[in-house]
Amino acid sequence: MADTYNSDSEPTTRTLLRRVLDTADTRTPRRRRSARIGVQKARLEMPLSSPTKMNVSRRSQRARSIERLARVQTSGHLDEQTPRTLLKNILLTAPESSIMMPEPVVKPVPTPQVVQSSRRKSSQGSLELQLPELEPPTTLALGLLAPGRRKQRLRLSAFQQGVDQGLPLSQEPHGNANASSLTSSLNLTFATPLQPQSVQRPGLARRPPTRRAVDVGAFLQDLRDTSLVSPGDSLRTPVATLPTDTVLEDTQPFSQPLVGRSPSVYHSLPCLSHTEAEDAERAVSHRTQSSGPKLQNYNPGKQAQLLARKAKNVDAIAMSFPNKSSAISGEDGVDLLQDGIDEEAEERMEENLSVSEVMDTTGTQGSVRTENSKGYREMTEAVETNEPKGSSEDEDISDRRASPELASNTTQSPQARRPQFLEPAPPSSTAVLSSEPLSTRLPPRARAPGSRPRQDPHKTGLSHYVKFFSFCAKMPMEKKAVEMVEKCLDRYFQHLCDDLEAFAAHAGRKTVRPEDLELLMRRQGLVNDQVSLRVLVERHLPLEYRQLLIPCAFSGNSVFPAQ
Amino acid sequence: MAVSGVLSQRTHVRRKAPRAFLRRLFRRQKPRLRLETGGDLLVHLNCLLFVHRLAEESRMNAFENKDGVIKKEHVLAAAKVILKKSRG
Repeated sequence: MADTYNSDSEPTTRTLLRRVLDTADTRTPRRRRSARIGVQKARLEMPLSSPTKMNVSRRSQRARSIERLARVQTSGHLDEQTPRTLLKNILLTAPESSIMMPEPVVKPVPTPQVVQSSRRKSSQGSLELQLPELEPPTTLALGLLAPGRRKQRLRLSAFQQGVDQGLPLSQEPHGNANASSLTSSLNLTFATPLQPQSVQRPGLARRPPTRRAVDVGAFLQDLRDTSLVSPGDSLRTPVATLPTDTVLEDTQPFSQPLVGRSPSVYHSLPCLSHTEAEDAERAVSHRTQSSGPKLQNYNPGKQAQLLARKAKNVDAIAMSFPNKSSAISGEDGVDLLQDGIDEEAEERMEENLSVSEVMDTTGTQGSVRTENSKGYREMTEAVETNEPKGSSEDEDISDRRASPELASNTTQSPQARRPQFLEPAPPSSTAVLSSEPLSTRLPPRARAPGSRPRQDPHKTGLSHYVKFFSFCAKMPMEKKAVEMVEKCLDRYFQHLCDDLEAFAAHAGRKTVRPEDLELLMRRQGLVNDQVSLRVLVERHLPLEYRQLLIPCAFSGNSVFPAQ
Repeated sequence: MAVSGVLSQRTHVRRKAPRAFLRRLFRRQKPRLRLETGGDLLVHLNCLLFVHRLAEESRMNAFENKDGVIKKEHVLAAAKVILKKSRG
C-alpha cells in the first residue's frame, strides 16, 4: 500500500474509487483489468467485504517481492498522468461484464514470481490500459489472455441465447478470435483424427443429402458407422441447420475449449472453476453443432475448399502438438496458472493470427458455401416438418432422400398435372404420401388444384344457410343434424318455388315480383301489421342489400330503386 | 364436446347473400319463371328467417331434452313445425 500511495502521491485523488484502484493494483497484479474492475465493483457495492480479506492474505505473501519493482516503475509512470484520467480510462475501457465469478478462483493460485513479473505490467497497464506494452513477454501473454477469455465468455452467453432463440447472432464483432478459433478447431480436426471424429458425428446427421454425394464418402461412412446419435443432438440439429446459424457456427470460436480440453487433459487444473467447466461443456455441445455444419458445408466439397483444407493441414502440422495444446488452452484462458507456457502461448497467438488470416479467406469461402446451401436447407426445412427427425435418426435416410426427392418431384409433377384433367385429387395426394413420406412439401400444391372440383354447387349454396343455422342455434350440433337441416332447406326451397309460381300464376304473370314474396311472407306469418317487409329487410340484411330493396332519396331529387 | 361428429358453434357468419345460387336454384326449379331484380334478395331474406326459426325451434327442442348438442331428432321435430308454418 505504501508504495502505491507514494507513487500516486497527488492530493487530487481523494475519491473512493481512486483508492480502490490503488488497492486493486497491489492486490491483483496478474489480471489487472478484470481483477481490478471486479474489485472496484465489489468495493462500490459492498465496501470492504471479501476482497479486503483476500487482499490481506495475499499481501503477506507477495509484499516483499512486489514492492521493489512496483516502486520503481509505478513511481515513474504514475506521476505523469492524473489519476482521475486513469480512472476514467479504466472505467471507459473496462468491459462491464461481471468478472466476479472467475476472480476468486484465479486469485489464490499465483505464486510470487508470477506476481512480480505481472506486477510491473499492472502498474504500467494502469497507465496505458488500452495499449499494453509488448516488452515483457509474460505480461503480454497475460494481458492478451485475460481479455480474450472475457470476450469469450460474453460470446458464449450471447451465443447461447442466440441458439435458444434460434436467432442469428452478429458475427462481425468476433473478428480475429473467430478466425483463430476456426483455425484451431480445424487444425485439431484434421491433425488429430480420432478425437474429432467422435465429436463431429451428430453434425453429420444434419448434412443435406445432395451434397454428400460430392463429399469424401468413405471417411464419412466410417464416421457414420461409429456414430451414436443422441436425442439431444437431434434436438439441436434443427437449430443448427438454420442458415444463419450454420454460417455462425462455422466461425464460432466455441470449439476451442473442447479442443483445448482433449490435449489439456495433461494440464487439467485442480482449480478449474465451475464456470470454466460449464464453458467447456457448452463448448463441447456447440462444438458438436459447429462441427456438423462445418462438415456439411464442406461436403459440397469444391476443389478450392479442398485446397484450403490442405493449407490448414499444413499449418496444423507446422505447429507441434505440445505447442498447439498450450496455445489452445492459452486462448481459452484456462491455463493462466501455467507460467512457463505463457511465452509459448504468446508465440502461438502470433502464429494463430498469421494462420487466422489464411483462415479468414477460407472462412469466407465456407460462408459463401453455406449461403449456397442455405437455399437447399430453407427449401427442405420449410416444407419438411419431419426433417429433423429423419436427419437425426439416420443419415441413410438422408441419402435415400436425395434421390427419392428428385424422384418424387418427378412423380408428383405429373400427379399435380393430372387433377386438372381428371379430378382425382385425394387419391393423388394419398399416393404421394404413401410413396414418399418425406416429400410432404409437394402434396399441398398437388392438392390445391385437385380440391377444386368440389361436391355439388347446390350443397355449397346450402352450406351458407347451414352455417347460418349453427350460428342462430348458438349450440354445437351434430353432423347428422346438419344433413337434416340441408334436407329441410331442400324441402323449403321446393315449397317456396311452388308457392311463388302459384302466386305469379294467380296474378297472371310469368315474373315473380317482390309483391309475391311479400305476400308469401305475410302468409308465413313473418310480415304482419306490426312488422313490415322493410323492417325485416332492415333487420336482417346488410346495408348493401337494403339499398337495393328499400327506395331511398338521393341527391339530385332521385330515388334509387325506382318505384 | 370431444365427440368427433359434433360441429362447434359458429361465431361469425358471412352476411353476403349467395345470390347466384338462389337464382340458379329458382331457375332449376321453375324454368319458365323469372325473378325480378331484388327478388333473389327477398328469397334470401325469407330463407334467413326460415333458418332462423328452424334454429330457434331445434334449439328449444334440444333444451327440452336437456341436451347440449343439437341432434338430428331435434332438427327433425323442429322442421315438422316450421315447414308447416312456412307453407305459403
